Amino acid sequence: MNVLKCFALAAVVLSTTVSCNKYLDVVPDDGVARIDMAFNLRSSAIRYLGTCYSYMPVDGNVIHDSAMLTGDELWDLVGRIVSNTNARVPNGYFQIARGFQSASNVRANDWADMYKGIRCCDILVENIDRVPDMTLQEKMQWKAEATFLKAYYHFHLVRKWGPVPIIRESLPIDSDMEAVRMYRDNIDDCFDYIISLLDQAMENLPVTVQSNDELGRITRPICAALKARVAVYAASPLFNGNEEEATLVDDRGIQLFPSKTEEEKLERWKYAVTACQEAIAAAQQANFQLFDRTTIASNFRMCDSLLTDMTLRCAFNLRWNQELIWGNTQRDVNNYGSIQAFQQWTMPNMSEYSHSTGGYRFVGVPMKIVDQFYTNHGLPIENDLSWSGVNTQALRRVTSEYNYYLEEGYTTVAQNFDREPRFYAFLGFDGGKWLGQISNYNDLQPSDIPFIDCRNGGAQGKSGGEVGPVTGYFAKKLYPFQCMFTGQNSFSSYWFPWPTMRLTDLYLLYAEAINEAEGPNGPHRDDLFACLDAIRSRAGIPDVKTAWDTYSNNPGYYNSQYGMRAIIHRERLIELCFESQRFWDIRRWKEAPQEYSKGIYGYTVTGSSPEDYYVKNLVATQTFGLKDYFWPIYTSYIYKNPNLVQNLGW
Amino acid sequence: MPVKKIVLSLFFVLATLTAMAQTKTVKGIVYEDETGEPMIGAAVTIAGTTKGVATNADGSFTLAGVKPSDNLKFEAMGKVAQIVKVGDMTNFIIKLSDDKNQLEDAVVVAFGKQKKESVIGSVTAIDVQTLKVPSSNLTTALAGNVAGIIAYQRSGEPGQDNADFFVRGITTFGANTSPLILIDNIELTSTDLARLQPDDIESFSIMKDATATALYGARGANGVIYVTTKRGQEGPAKIFARVETSISSPTSTVELADPVTYMKSYNEAISTRDPLGELMYSYDKIEQTGKPGANRLIYPANDWYDMLFKKYSTAYRANVSARGGGKVATYYVTGGFTQDTGILKVDKRNSFNNNIDQKTYTLRSNVDINITPTTKLAVRLTGNFTDYTGPLNGGDAVYKQVVHSDPVLFPAYYPADDDHVGIQHIMFGNYDDGSYSNPYADLVRGYKDTQRSQMIAAVELNQDLDFITKGLHFMTLFNLTRLSYYQVYRQFHPFYYTLDRYDSYTGEYHVQRINDNGTDYLSYSEGDKTITNTMYSESRLNWAREFGRSDVSGLLVLTAREQLNANAGSLQKSLPSRNAGLSGRFTYGWDKRYFAEFNFGYNGSERFHKSHRWGFFPSVGAAWMISNEKFFKPLTNVVNNLKFRASYGLVGNDNIGSSSNRFYYLSETNMTSAARRAYFGEFQGVSYDGISVSRYANEAITWEKSYKSNFAVELGLFKKLDIIAEYFTEHRTDIFMTRADIPETMGLEAAISANIGEAKAHGVDIQADYKQVWSKDFWTSARGNFTYSTSSYLKYEEPEYAESYRQHVGYSLKQTWGYIAERLFIDDEEAANSPSQAAFGSQYGGGDIKYTDVNGDGIINEADMVPIGLPTTPEIIYGFGASLGWKGFDFSVFFQGLANESFWIDASTNYNPSKNIAGTAPFVHNTQLLKAYADSHWSEDNRDIYALWPRYSAYSNTNNSATSTWWMRDGAFLRLKQLEIGYTLPFKLTEKWRIESARVYFQGNNMLCWSRFKLWDPELAGSGLNYPIQRTFNIGFHVTFK
Repeated sequence: MNVLKCFALAAVVLSTTVSCNKYLDVVPDDGVARIDMAFNLRSSAIRYLGTCYSYMPVDGNVIHDSAMLTGDELWDLVGRIVSNTNARVPNGYFQIARGFQSASNVRANDWADMYKGIRCCDILVENIDRVPDMTLQEKMQWKAEATFLKAYYHFHLVRKWGPVPIIRESLPIDSDMEAVRMYRDNIDDCFDYIISLLDQAMENLPVTVQSNDELGRITRPICAALKARVAVYAASPLFNGNEEEATLVDDRGIQLFPSKTEEEKLERWKYAVTACQEAIAAAQQANFQLFDRTTIASNFRMCDSLLTDMTLRCAFNLRWNQELIWGNTQRDVNNYGSIQAFQQWTMPNMSEYSHSTGGYRFVGVPMKIVDQFYTNHGLPIENDLSWSGVNTQALRRVTSEYNYYLEEGYTTVAQNFDREPRFYAFLGFDGGKWLGQISNYNDLQPSDIPFIDCRNGGAQGKSGGEVGPVTGYFAKKLYPFQCMFTGQNSFSSYWFPWPTMRLTDLYLLYAEAINEAEGPNGPHRDDLFACLDAIRSRAGIPDVKTAWDTYSNNPGYYNSQYGMRAIIHRERLIELCFESQRFWDIRRWKEAPQEYSKGIYGYTVTGSSPEDYYVKNLVATQTFGLKDYFWPIYTSYIYKNPNLVQNLGW
Repeated sequence: MPVKKIVLSLFFVLATLTAMAQTKTVKGIVYEDETGEPMIGAAVTIAGTTKGVATNADGSFTLAGVKPSDNLKFEAMGKVAQIVKVGDMTNFIIKLSDDKNQLEDAVVVAFGKQKKESVIGSVTAIDVQTLKVPSSNLTTALAGNVAGIIAYQRSGEPGQDNADFFVRGITTFGANTSPLILIDNIELTSTDLARLQPDDIESFSIMKDATATALYGARGANGVIYVTTKRGQEGPAKIFARVETSISSPTSTVELADPVTYMKSYNEAISTRDPLGELMYSYDKIEQTGKPGANRLIYPANDWYDMLFKKYSTAYRANVSARGGGKVATYYVTGGFTQDTGILKVDKRNSFNNNIDQKTYTLRSNVDINITPTTKLAVRLTGNFTDYTGPLNGGDAVYKQVVHSDPVLFPAYYPADDDHVGIQHIMFGNYDDGSYSNPYADLVRGYKDTQRSQMIAAVELNQDLDFITKGLHFMTLFNLTRLSYYQVYRQFHPFYYTLDRYDSYTGEYHVQRINDNGTDYLSYSEGDKTITNTMYSESRLNWAREFGRSDVSGLLVLTAREQLNANAGSLQKSLPSRNAGLSGRFTYGWDKRYFAEFNFGYNGSERFHKSHRWGFFPSVGAAWMISNEKFFKPLTNVVNNLKFRASYGLVGNDNIGSSSNRFYYLSETNMTSAARRAYFGEFQGVSYDGISVSRYANEAITWEKSYKSNFAVELGLFKKLDIIAEYFTEHRTDIFMTRADIPETMGLEAAISANIGEAKAHGVDIQADYKQVWSKDFWTSARGNFTYSTSSYLKYEEPEYAESYRQHVGYSLKQTWGYIAERLFIDDEEAANSPSQAAFGSQYGGGDIKYTDVNGDGIINEADMVPIGLPTTPEIIYGFGASLGWKGFDFSVFFQGLANESFWIDASTNYNPSKNIAGTAPFVHNTQLLKAYADSHWSEDNRDIYALWPRYSAYSNTNNSATSTWWMRDGAFLRLKQLEIGYTLPFKLTEKWRIESARVYFQGNNMLCWSRFKLWDPELAGSGLNYPIQRTFNIGFHVTFK
């Protein structure tokens, strides 16, 4: 009996455990956010669209742009101590420029982020139809934007890694191992897929954004322009039947850079011509045109040379000017490495204030970039009859006729005289004038305009550890005239959407495609010259034919496809310098090995007299081999997915 | 009325006195009923009086002055008292039998107590005396004192000096490796354990195997630490008081190179890498700084250590308790106070104290009330309050900052000169743009206030259910815990000054202010704020009965626990954590020789999906008390105790991820993710917070399972030496880990995790105690224990590396993978002709570390990282000591050591004090040069390819800071942990003040240390720049009043 009682008690105890199940249900039903809830309302769906955008590479940001400090166009101070990484410009990507890229420690490795972005785009396309409070048209537009971004993310991967696995459809999370271990698709399939996505997106994109609040969203001209760029990349020697990469074969025996006949290669260029035409047409439809001085002239009273200087800088860095097809509005969430931070920390300080929060000027421009600028005749120095070749050391005292570009009475190197206006607009240097750091822009006297004295002991010269010039040249283009040191430790920076694509870029792509597809004298030759001359005329230099026929030691150079190629490439490198284009361009042209062998030179910044300072000094040497055309695939990715074949050389 | 009472009692006293006239002397012998042996020390008293004697060595007694009408009371520990009417008897033969309800020789096991001989599970009960170290942190006493505990201490900072401890080592690479800590049945944290006053502890046990922990089911896999506090005792009030004062100083400090060597070395670091590089310090500065009479404001040479730290710090501890009670109720009430101060100096010009000052107040009241003869109510109230003030970033950070501050750029502060008369603030020194680290300024510029309060209220109801069936007992308890914690920072922003101009001829100098953003007043900011509410209830049904030679018991326990965090930070974290379970134990013993036990836990946790919410954790065990066998009888003079026991079972660990990762079966989606914010608009002014997934749903996730087996032998020799030796194995499956083989091309935003890991461990723990009483005045004792635990990966998902040594399987869970350093490169040429080390991302050459190309592919990269060294947590912890007493004096000594541990010197330039990261590489971040590095480094003049430090570099050199055998050190050490001398005042002397016992003592802690590593205290391991471990001298006094 007692035992029975005992069991009865136990039963009571046990029965309470039944209610325990309820006790453990602490999560309110449907009370926890899930990804599909993003599509319950337009207001949350737009945040998901934003999420798709958020993976966009932050172009122009020195810690996010794979082509700013990673190449040979800008040079950082080696070993700079970054005591405050939040505010200053971290130099991790600069390690790539110094040759420290490696497959086990891949720098600028956004492979995984791009694929995350692609998955987001797929989720949006799949789910957007479920949103109740949106019009069909808007849904179509958002789908098109997501499709565009998916193409853009693939393109970004291809540009860095070459052939990559294409994600036609995102796989479910519980897919089996065989399915998720994807192979790299061959390079032509990659480009074709990107172009097909862009074509798919094109028609549902608006010609322009509906309001200024939407600036930065994808429009049809952007889509057409990206398609033009993709088509030109696909036709470029690096990607188009590249024999050097012929040995990149995966374990199924598939050649990732398929061999091609010359005709097949030419097809790509012909397609690029059409794509560029479409893009220019789309740009015209949306009223894009080259930025010219009229906008500025109505606001400021200035002499002609200053107006040109201002126009050329503004064409790049004036927010939303009329030639900006695609301004990238994305940014690092913490604003690290942004163009504003870059301006603040690296701009030469020309104010009367001492500064601990900026003006460290530790990013410089290598001499080879300086040398590539034209003379005032619109010719390379070595081709200009009035020059006797590049001489980096001859000194010259500034006389009054140069006083809007150079400080009168100052002694600087002779090659800083008689250069094209873009030289003065895009570069700062010892003795050079710097429009900015003054509040009155009207009727400027030359003596009002500050200049740089960056020899040792000069106001912008070397002063201790991490402060000082690197090569003696500064990328003035990146500092709009509005940038100013406004007080003790206060700096006024100027934000502008980074020009991921502007009209001159499109013109130059078009010119390049024409020349490659049919040479300089083919059916599109008028377009070819028109594109180049429009840019040259805005830059204040003679047109191609005049320049080469009148002033050069090689008249008619432009008549050969080879000569025209050199002219177009040079024009592109000058016009788009510091715009994170050179890095990609010299690679796709396969000109990087020659360019990298030139070395990084600067002036002797520790010198204080002109004689000591103007001695060319080797800052660093760079090497470029086959492997450097592409990023290495992080070894751990290959361990996870042995089907990924590593790029050559890594 | 009171007058009447007094008169009455006087009458009784008189009556007693008159009765004494007719007395006689009685004698007798007291035997132990079970064994039949005479009992020594049994108390024989006349009931109702204090008059009595104790039995002597042969169990006999003689008591005079006994009246026939008296009752004699025979009592002994753990025995049922007997009362016998004297009457005509003069010779008493008394047999005292064991008191089943008062098992003095009982061991605390899960949800109850068991008689020591019948315990099957592996439970270490610790003599609380051994935990009384001169420290306000109980956890620091665990290492070497408790068989089965692996423990070490990595910081000596008051308030932050909790030791890390693990029961039988670490057998999981999941999130939670720490044991379940229960104090009076309440689940608490290691900080609560640290704050416990040893004087208040009744019992302290460690439960190690499956039989001991199965009742805790899904929470017992990492072992259980179970502490009970003292409860009231019937009898007159006993007052106990203890006061202690101690002073402490670091066991060792890191030695730095002198300022002149520092400057020369810094210049060398620049010029050796870049002959044209601009030197950091001018020759003039170096020369002047070295001169004895140089002006220290112009040529500073700061010894930041000396400036910031005192030679020693002090601590005070006091504890008072009262214990007693009557028939109705008994009580134990105690109050404790400890104060620990840090070793930091305080600037007199400040009105606040920035030194560490931690005060802890404890109040505990345990009251047991007998409501009816069968019903008992216990009420326990505990309050624990810690007030802390200290430096803004904590003491560890100050130590790190001292090493990471330039000694020669500026003085700590400038005296106000003629230009700055009337300035109120301290003129702190700085340099250039004012961004340099001035540790003095950072120390004195503010302070942090932290308060932690914990209130625990518990009520417990005990009911004998003998009326249902004999031996049945019911208990239910309910408790509430409220923990609150906050931090407040108060600080001013320093004004920094720098030397403006200095005339070396006249010695005249001027300083100028660098920054305008300094403040004269304190600003305020708030730190962490935590409020945690915990509710726990438990009901037990307990039945124990003897049937002839069979001894049977059963137990069922129902538990439910809920914890809620205010300020949790997210919806999912704010939901209550709940745990419910039913546990049971069934034991059977036969003839005190054979014992068997079955335990189970059936637990549910809110973290898992319904289909995986409940788990059943059974265990079985058996023991054989061979010394109770008849055939063993002849041996019992030598081997008085011999017992074998074994157990096997399953225990779980449901705390498998971080608290932010609780509901594995749910996806975690951030609907407003700033990290995925997109920006649009004319001025980038339109932004949309993104939507991101931080966890994908996985309904299959469940707890870790631990299969434990335990084999033990208990041996008693000559009734003087007790040895317990245990061997254990553990196989942990379903360890939660991140899937390593999901390619990035899947585009998943968060890692996928699953219960796929497996690990195993095995080891031994041995404890031995020896005690011998040589005479009434002289006794000796010795004790020792040894714990060994080693683990290895059985399943660890990772890529299929080409090199087998990269796989984790087969290696210890705390194994380090690193490069094999051969030596330093002789010169640049050798470096250029060796396998490429460019993957480190630094230029390297002569004097930099040369690594072995293990796989021979011509490149040194992570494929060349091999398992190096021993685990980073020690595999062996041991301790041994001896005590002796002579008359009133006692003396004890205790050594503790650990072995089988490697650590790595952090040779990087990383420096983040708030994350407790501080590399020792000099120069970068103005890091000072360790003297040892200055004394032995590769230089162009002295190309020592086996020097301690490679070629200097003024910049971060990742080639040299990689994890490698170069920086690997042996963590083993043996220290003289404790030395104690005490003197107990003679009873005769103290008796008149109603003092039962009084003792003064002197203790020294961490007195000596033997180790192969000399740069800092080896117990700090890689964290050598932490607040050092302290050497403490302690004087104390305790007294018990009757």
